[in-house]
Amino acid sequence: MEGILLFAISIGTLAAIYGMVTLALNLETGTGPLWDLGIVSFFGIGAYAYVILTAAPAEGHQHYLYGFGLPMWLGVIGAALAGAVAAWFIGLPSLRLRKEYFLIVTLAFAEVLRQLYINEDWLTNGVAGIYGLEQPLRGLVEARQYTYVLFALAICGLLAVWALTRMISLSAFGRACKALRENEALAITAGIDPRRTSMVLYVLAGAFTAVAGVFYVWYNTLVVPGQFSSDLTFFVWTALIIGGVGSSRGALFGAFIFILLHDSLRFLQVSGETAVTLTSLRTALIGLLLILILRFRPNGIFPETRVVFKLPDRAKAAEGAKRKGLA
Amino acid sequence: MDILIFGLISGSIILLSSVGFAMIVKVEGFLNIAHGQMLLLGAYLGLFFSGYGLPLAVTMLLASIATGVIGMLCYGLLFRPVKSQGLLVLLFTSVGAAYVIHGVVGAIAGKRMLAYDLPPTRAIRIFGEPFMTRYELTTVILALVLALAVHLFMTHTRAGKEIRAVSDNEDLARVRGIDPVRSSYLVWFVASALGGLAGVLMGIMGSLHLGMGWQQIIIILATTVLGGIGSIYGVMLAAFVLAFGIEIGLLFAEPSYRSGIAFLIIIVVLFVRPQGLQSLWGAGKLRTH
Amino acid sequence: MLEVRNVSLYYGGICAVNDMSLEVAEGEIVGLIGTNGAGKTSLFNVITGFARASSGTVRFLGRDVTGYSGPRIAQAGMLRTFQTPVGFPKMTVMENMLVFSRADAAARPSIFRGASPARAVLEEAMEFLAIFGLAARAGDWVQDLAAPELKMLEFARAMMAHPKMLLLDEPAAGVNPALQGNLIEHIGALRRRGVTFLVVDHNLRFIRDICDRAYAMADGRLIASGPTGDVLNNPDVIRLYLGGGAGEEAA
Repeated sequence: MEGILLFAISIGTLAAIYGMVTLALNLETGTGPLWDLGIVSFFGIGAYAYVILTAAPAEGHQHYLYGFGLPMWLGVIGAALAGAVAAWFIGLPSLRLRKEYFLIVTLAFAEVLRQLYINEDWLTNGVAGIYGLEQPLRGLVEARQYTYVLFALAICGLLAVWALTRMISLSAFGRACKALRENEALAITAGIDPRRTSMVLYVLAGAFTAVAGVFYVWYNTLVVPGQFSSDLTFFVWTALIIGGVGSSRGALFGAFIFILLHDSLRFLQVSGETAVTLTSLRTALIGLLLILILRFRPNGIFPETRVVFKLPDRAKAAEGAKRKGLA
Repeated sequence: MDILIFGLISGSIILLSSVGFAMIVKVEGFLNIAHGQMLLLGAYLGLFFSGYGLPLAVTMLLASIATGVIGMLCYGLLFRPVKSQGLLVLLFTSVGAAYVIHGVVGAIAGKRMLAYDLPPTRAIRIFGEPFMTRYELTTVILALVLALAVHLFMTHTRAGKEIRAVSDNEDLARVRGIDPVRSSYLVWFVASALGGLAGVLMGIMGSLHLGMGWQQIIIILATTVLGGIGSIYGVMLAAFVLAFGIEIGLLFAEPSYRSGIAFLIIIVVLFVRPQGLQSLWGAGKLRTH
Repeated sequence: MLEVRNVSLYYGGICAVNDMSLEVAEGEIVGLIGTNGAGKTSLFNVITGFARASSGTVRFLGRDVTGYSGPRIAQAGMLRTFQTPVGFPKMTVMENMLVFSRADAAARPSIFRGASPARAVLEEAMEFLAIFGLAARAGDWVQDLAAPELKMLEFARAMMAHPKMLLLDEPAAGVNPALQGNLIEHIGALRRRGVTFLVVDHNLRFIRDICDRAYAMADGRLIASGPTGDVLNNPDVIRLYLGGGAGEEAA
């Protein structure tokens, strides 16, 4: 029984981490106009930046040159900054492009980064990765109870990202992003600069995703390049589409459903050969779900809803207009 | 010299994988991510057929026809019904389709690395220098001939002209009595069959593995950016530019940087010349603001 | 107020606007007519920063704004409309209004500041919506509006920016005669509030009803200018419309 609970908590932690990335993607795509197929870039950069800043110096058999051994909170800030700078750098050439091209170029950058992680031993220790990383608040509780602590931390992180993305999307800046998403030419006549606005949005999403990357490191206690392939980008997109693009409830729901589909197989104890078949069938099932959702519920399970303001009284407004001699 | 030969071979593979993708982009207007899985499908279908001891040429033909038919089915069952929903829905429907194909092939074939059972050959010698193997030569010739055939088909045959008319303006085409659905089916068949063939050839020359579809779609996308979305001729040029670029780049970098180099080329091109190769014949991909 | 001097615009090798000059003084309503493909919308694009003139200058409020980007021109107080007034479909009518408000424009740079717009801004928006008969729809998505409502929203949201000048691209296209009267009234009221207009339209009767002066274009160049009546009676203009779009006048 306790095994099941621990498993559920562990899955929940992972879902919360994915939820952060899905919310960041929703900020780019649901609120803003950016079709980003490279969100894993910032996930990876956040993770590696954190590890390089906080890890202990390399041991004899490891190749990486830098492990600064800084405190964790500095690592988190460093990761967020690294994500933001990376987004700025990637956005510089790619935000000049039309949507379809932006899509491909961001995917391209993600791929280049993954190959950098693999090949640049001196920075990342290559495919061997960096293991045995510390987790926050580890000493507070017994080892067996730590799963709960990490879950609580991840949920806090998720709530923070949720609150921030929500605040951004409801602000004047968020409205400008939405206007760009809906009708770029008209947004321009409202004085909105598409490239500047998109860049700010992209940098913000990059920083959020990078912080999610730190949680991912805490969850796994290791980094290897294989964690940051474009699969993850497509997974996050799939989660967002299932949940509903443009709705943060949908983004969260999608992330949890997706992880449930994707990782509950780990619970089954089967032989290697069967496991391959099962994971393959799972991939097919996720694909089928994606196709069906797009076909029959293209706005997702929780479609975007209207933004509601407490509107002023209509009669009074009409009166006011008359008084000013406009009507 | 090696660079020239390897560039020619890998350019041919890229060309053959990308031409079909470019056709679909041109006619349907979206990036069909599932095209990478058509390569996978072709490669594994080829393996399946060759298991019956069929000659290689027959295997290739059967595999590409079967892939083409599956491509048509995908269009009819998956893409046509959501065509009105816009680019993003189409794009991610194709991602879904890619997952399904990848999953089904994986479930049947398993994750082992497999290879075609072919007699080993030595490189043909020209002027005493090793040139390429029979298989490689076949690949290069097939790719060039088929790319040329696609070009001639699109420009000189009635069906090809109809396809172009549909891609330019579907309503107008319909008014002129062209059946857009029929030409779409044709495009999907040809495009997927070419993809399947590329898959078989990749299988013959390297090894087959389940990741090959995802790997190759990334190269295909790079080719498309370089050549210009919707420009089939741009893609033909871009395939070889990329292939030679990669071969030259590999003089300075690790072999595992293969697709990384492809994308670095793209990124550099976009910095220097944001319109890509397509600007050579004047169509923009920059936004106006 | 607006001064266009010898503007030309080439797309590839094609000349869309050829050495075009025009002037609009403060408080005027000036028409710009011509058949399809005469270069009116291209000229609009140059003036509003959506296209870069190949040569010539544009001055607005005494400032040289040639080559300004679209957002900068909008910020300077010149707004344009588009031929198809779709708005921001998946945003509410009120959000559409807010995007154009000066308060929103001022608050955009500070991303992490208060989410809710100020009461006064909402009230102002509501007043404009009341004027244009849209108050009841403030909370609805724009994609659910009917075509005439979209037309009215176009004016309402433009008012939120307190523009000095409005460039209208075919405001009367697809509008029934009753609504046209409505439109003319609204344009008149806005003019009394100090808004200057440059109007492109096919509908010559509409142009005659609202414009003080007019310019006529054909093949990218100016063929006539002067008081609206004179321009509409100009033999070249009559020939152009009888040849190309005689039906327009009857409609």
